[in-house]
Formats: sequence, structure tokens, C-alpha cells
Amino acid sequence: MIKYFTCIISGIWNLAKGLFVTLKNVFVKPVTLQYPTQKLEMTQRYRGLVDLYPEKCIKCGQCVKICPTACLDLSVKAGEGADKKKEFGHFKYNMELCCFCGLCEQVCPTQAIYMNKIYEIAVYEHGKLHIDLLDKDKYDEWANPDVK
Amino acid sequence: MDDTSLKEDIGTEEFWVNMGPQHPSTHGVLRLELKLSGETVVDGIVHIGYLHRSMEKIAENRTYTQFIPFTDRLDYLASMNNNLAYVLAVEKLMGIEVSDRAKYIRVIMAELGRIASHLFGITTFVQDLGAFATPLFYGMREREKIVELFDDVCGQRLTYNYMRVGGVSRDLPNGADGKIKGIIKYLRPKFDDLEALFNSNPIFTARTRGVGVLTASKAVNYGVTGPNLRASGVKWDLRKDEPYLCYDKFTFDIPVGNNGDAWDRYKVRMDEMRQSLRIAEQAVLGLPEGDPTVKAGRIFRPEPGETYMRSENPRGELGFYIVSDGSPIPFRMKIRSPSFSNIAVLPDLIRGLKIADAVCVLGSLDVVMGEIDR
Amino acid sequence: MIIPVLTLIIMLIVGAVVLGFIAVSAMFLIWWERKVSAHIQTRYGPMRVGWHGALQSVADVIKLLLKENITPSGVDRLSWWLAPFFAVVPVVMVFVCIPFGNIFGIELIARDLNIGILYIMALTSICVLGIFMAGWGSNNKYSLLGGMRSAAQIVSYEIPLVLAMVTAVMFAGSLSMQKIVEAQKGLWFVFQPNMAIAFAIFIIAGTAEVNRTPFDIPEAESELVAGFHTEYSGMKFAMFFLGEYTNMFVISALAATLFLGGWSGPFLPPVIWFLIKTYGLVTFMMWIRWTLPRVRVDQLMGFAWKVLTPVSFANLIVAGWILMK
Repeated sequence: MIKYFTCIISGIWNLAKGLFVTLKNVFVKPVTLQYPTQKLEMTQRYRGLVDLYPEKCIKCGQCVKICPTACLDLSVKAGEGADKKKEFGHFKYNMELCCFCGLCEQVCPTQAIYMNKIYEIAVYEHGKLHIDLLDKDKYDEWANPDVK
Repeated sequence: MDDTSLKEDIGTEEFWVNMGPQHPSTHGVLRLELKLSGETVVDGIVHIGYLHRSMEKIAENRTYTQFIPFTDRLDYLASMNNNLAYVLAVEKLMGIEVSDRAKYIRVIMAELGRIASHLFGITTFVQDLGAFATPLFYGMREREKIVELFDDVCGQRLTYNYMRVGGVSRDLPNGADGKIKGIIKYLRPKFDDLEALFNSNPIFTARTRGVGVLTASKAVNYGVTGPNLRASGVKWDLRKDEPYLCYDKFTFDIPVGNNGDAWDRYKVRMDEMRQSLRIAEQAVLGLPEGDPTVKAGRIFRPEPGETYMRSENPRGELGFYIVSDGSPIPFRMKIRSPSFSNIAVLPDLIRGLKIADAVCVLGSLDVVMGEIDR
Repeated sequence: MIIPVLTLIIMLIVGAVVLGFIAVSAMFLIWWERKVSAHIQTRYGPMRVGWHGALQSVADVIKLLLKENITPSGVDRLSWWLAPFFAVVPVVMVFVCIPFGNIFGIELIARDLNIGILYIMALTSICVLGIFMAGWGSNNKYSLLGGMRSAAQIVSYEIPLVLAMVTAVMFAGSLSMQKIVEAQKGLWFVFQPNMAIAFAIFIIAGTAEVNRTPFDIPEAESELVAGFHTEYSGMKFAMFFLGEYTNMFVISALAATLFLGGWSGPFLPPVIWFLIKTYGLVTFMMWIRWTLPRVRVDQLMGFAWKVLTPVSFANLIVAGWILMK
């Protein structure tokens, strides 16, 4: 009989302890962000979309070779100048396949290919995910989603 | 109408319920077929394969470095540990020795990854018991600190791709060790809070104690590993029994349960998080200098041969069996995933329990479908 | 001729006011619950529609009203269609004899029945019929399990609930709600030791009565998807929702009336006191919901029969002994 009541009392006490924990958290400032108005700052090393400094690129093709999902496509043609310096044919980036692993960025000997800080990458059309890396303003639409 | 047909008309009958792949508590896309007699589970059949992505076949078409991002997608709650298990296997195959700093960084990352994974595991388990989202949110809030650190270190929040064969992809950023110490300091009292919510809660104990008892012999026979095995009373932890990296340099205990019920599985995870904090603390204090990084572009050509390397993941032993034919691409890879063995024991455990308990057992086993289906 | 028409008009006005109050109260409670749960979980909750999302429930109601009314194949049409009404109508009928207090001497109670408590007890147990019909009619195994569970639950919880009410009735010496409130003018019942126990039993059994965590086993999201209302959508689902939140209000209002002195209280007007007490109890129920895990169905029954029923019986006997003394 005594055990019966101590069981009830201790049960109530332990429930109260749990309730106290949740009560304590009511007075903690909410940790979530109000997303479209408040945005998370991306870290220094954040791996967003693949981007390119065309002038730094030496067209070595290591990024294309290491990409696990084959989302980069580089074609190079011999230059018309006297030194026969290699020139871009095209440099395509298929974001549908990209797994954002960052290997291309790390393998690049001249830091020409890098990953930017854009993370709002939802689009309505497949076509928009096929990106020409040589295009200067390819990410304008993503970087400033409010600008139409 | 005679007596027998009347009896048939109003008699009871067992029925099948299809639980999942769309069900709030099947942790992804597990499908359970439950044969019920009223509320009681008579039989259960586990169907897997809804998340199959041919990881092992993909591995046969990727170089050793290229496969690291794919290991992130195995057990997506403990990507760091998967990375580690894979690169350890390749290192064993190649016979590469890793620098001290890389070892320490790997230990820190693996232990923090373990905490993040266990936080998720415990809190989703309690969510399955019906504590609506609140413990889950607390767990996620605590996990967020670790995820933020990982984001700082490697640039992603879920698919880290941090470990490299022979080291890690990048050194810790400036001030990271202070940050890790801060996280350790932050997490300790938070674990107390979580324990105050569950440990002596009469409803929680009533729901978990004695539910889904997994005996030690059955656990061993089924190949159950990790916290689920230790909860059954088998003291088997690869970090102690087959030390890899530099786990033999740290002092830590291995929490073991007695009964192998859902409560023990919860308690072992909870205690393990504290031990992981201990390891991480020792590792960050003794962090040696040096260069842990390796070149990403290196092509590995192992000698023809085969190797098997296993390591202690949050959910159990994750093993990689790699066969090399001397080319830069593995000839064959087999992934031994802990959740796959752990889920196999489920039908045995839920027989004779109520539906609510079946959900409780599933939650306490803490399986991740990405790993089961690969 | 004039008088019956006048009565009819007054009845219609009162009915409209009560229905309006129920709708607004339910919408407020839904918003409030979302806010309470959010802050317990260190979130903000709804923030977009109106001040701190105050109009969120209005937006949700509009959405539910505009949704297509889906009837799955193979449902038992009669019970499928009637179930939502069975969940709402009895709860609305309870409002007939809930004393809200008074404004300028006008008593805010539709009709002070002399068997008020009996009437309420009878009506609140009809709600479960709606749940059971929904579970039976939906042609879904999860719903069926939910319906069965709710039937089992109500059988065990009606008894301690009624016994706790009877303790208050014995002290007040009347079944009329107004009389019970007036009996507590001096000291609220809850400050007497055995009434405090009755109050605790009432809150626990009441939580079970309105199917909220830790006793939400007919719904049991993590086990039965959504229990009895798995198949319901649109307006019918909204009716269940309305029923649930109004039921919560009713149970809290009853607890406030029976144990916390109803609308009586110093300084503030009676209506304010009544609402403060009621919504305070509702908030307490929400706080419990967002903290505790769910009990298993057999544990729930064990708890009801082994703990609540004997304790409330013993409590009743002690109360009788005190009154006889």
C-alpha cells in the first residue's frame, strides 16, 4: 500500500521535473530564423554552386576528371594566336547531376574553379540547371532572388 | 442460420496492416507488413529496398577518391563516420600511414558525428513514443551546434565529404579548437536536460522497460552491432577491441546495458554521447601540430588484392570489403552496413507486442534506411 | 403571438452568440496551441498572417472550407457523414449550461438547468460515438484501430471523471452549475485537500476524455498515422478539429467551474475571471501535451482502473465522511 502511494507520488514528481524542463525552454529566445527576411550567413568554406574565374583557368581538365557525377563538361580548342594557347570551346555545368562534393574546387591547381555561397537553388525548369560557366552573369538570378 | 455460421459471422479474425513506406514513424521508407490480432502484433514482415541506389555498383565505376562523396549518402545522419570507415579501408588496402594531426582531427569529427547521430536517434525514438516533437526539437537544436562546426570545417551541413585517403581534405579553420571546446561545454548540461525529460519519466519508463528484449545470444547470432548489441550486455566496441586511428590513446568507458530492452538501448546511447564528449575533449586538448591535408587529385593504384576494414559507426560496425585489381577503380566493393543487420532482428522482437510497442522497438533500434538499402 | 416570436428571436441571438464564441475560441486555441508549442520548442510558430500570426487560424479555416470534399471508396456512408457532426454537436450543446459569469447583472448562462452536471456528463460521452463512427465508417484499418481504442478509453475514463465531478457536487449540494459556483464564493473547492485530489483526477481523466497527449491513443500519430480521422479532409476534418478544441475548452471550463470557483474572483469582472481560469487550464493541458510521451493502450486502462478509479472512490468516501461529520 505504501509502495502504491510512493509510486504515484514519485511519478508525479518526475513528471513535474520534465514539465519544468519544457517550461524553462519557453523563456529561451527562439533559435529559429524567420527565413525569407532573416537568412543564415554561409560559412567561409560553404560549398554552393560551382563557379569559375575564366581568366585563371589553365584548361587542364582535372576538375572534369575528378567529378564523381560527371557534371562538368569542358572542351578546349587550340588558340589562333601565335603561341597556340589553349582556348575554351565550352565549359558546361549540369547542376542536376552535381552532388556539391567540392572535389573540383580542391583539385584545381590555380583556384580557378570554386564554389560560391548561393544556396537557394530551386528553379522551375530543368533548362535553368544546365549552366554555361563562361557566362558572366549566369548566377545573377540566383544571387538576388528578388530581382526579376 | 445454424450455430456455426453465426459463430463465423461474429468471430474475430487476424488482419494485415501495411505500415509504411509512408508512415510517420518508419524512419524513411521502411515498409512493415504487420499481421494483427486486434492490437497485438502476431507477425511482422520487413520490406526493404525503397531507397536502393546501387552504391556498390557505383563504386565499381569510380576512383577511390570519387567514391568518398557517395559514402556520405549511406548513413546520412553520420556522414563523417561513413567517410572515415571508407578511407580507413582504402588506407589499409594501400598501406598508407596517416599523420598524427589528421588522426586526431578524424577522432574529433567521428565522435562529434556520433553525438549528432545519437541525438537524432534518441529524440526521434522519443517522438515515436508520442512525445510530440519537443524532444526532437531540443535534440536538433543541440545537434545544430555540431552541424555548424562541420559546416565551418568542411563547407556542408549534411554531406561532409571531409575525410580523404591519407588525411583530411582541409585543416581545421582558425579558432576551431576553441569552438569545439565551447560545444563540449555547451552540450554537457543539455544532456542533463534531456535525461531529466526521459530518465525518470514514469510514462517513458513504462513504455520502454522490458519492451523488445533482445538477448545477447540472439543479438550475436543476428549480427547486431553497435549500441543495440551493447544494450544486450555484450561489451563489444571496435574502438576498444580493435583500436583504429588513435583510440587506444584515450581513456573512455563503454556503456553496457543489462536487459537488452528498449530502455537499455536508449540508455546506452545516452551514456555513449557523454563518453564521446570525453574522447573529443581529450583529442582537442592533445591536438598535435602538422599538416593533415592531402592532395585531392592523387590517383590511387592499390596492389591487386582485397581487404576488409570495419569501424565503429554510431549504429554499429560499418565495414568496407574492397577487391582491387591494380587499376584506380575498385574491382568490387561490399558494404557491410550495421542497420541492415539491426533491422533483421525486428520481426523477432515485435512478435506478441502491441502496435505501440512495435513502433517503440523500431525507434529504439535506430535504423537509417539509406544504409540498409545502400 | 408576440411572445413566442420574441422568445424565438432571443433564442436565435443567443445561439448565434454561443456558436460565434465557440468558433472564435477554437480558432484562438489553435493559434495559441501553435504558439505555446513553438515557444516550448524554442521556435516562433506562426508569424506571417497578422500580428504574430494571429490570423493564421482564419487562413487555415478558409483553406479547409475551400478544399475538395473527398469521400473514399468503400466507406460506410451514414456513419462517415454523421461522425463529424457527432463530434461537434454534443460539445456545442454543453454550452447551454456553462456559467460564464454575469455582465451588468445579466447572467451569462443560456439556461441554468437544475440537472446541469448530469446533462453535461451525458453529452460529453456522446462525443466518443462520433470518433467511433469515424473509425468504423472510414474503411481504413488504422481508423478502425483508433475507433476501437477510443471506445476502450472512454469506458475506463468516464468513471473517475464522473466520480471527481460527484465529489464537487456533494460539497455544493446541487447539480446546478450556478449553485456550484455560488457554493465556492468563500473558498474555492480546490483548496480543500480531498477536493484537490478530485481536481487532479478530473484534469487527468479530462485529458483522456478529449484525447490529448499523453492519452491521445485514438489519434496516436506515430502509430496509427492519424487514427480515426486518417481519411477525413477538408471541412469534415475541420469539424473534428473544432470538436477537439471546443471539447478541451469545455473540460477546462468544467474544471474551473467545479473546482476553481467558476466566475467568482476578486477585482476583475466575473467573465474575465472565468476566461482566465479556463484558458489557464487549457494552457496547462497544452503544456502537458508538448512534454510527455504517449501511454500505451493497455497501460492507460491499467492506470485508469488501478489508480484513478480506486483513488477517486476512496476520495469520494472520505468526502462523504467529512460532510457527515
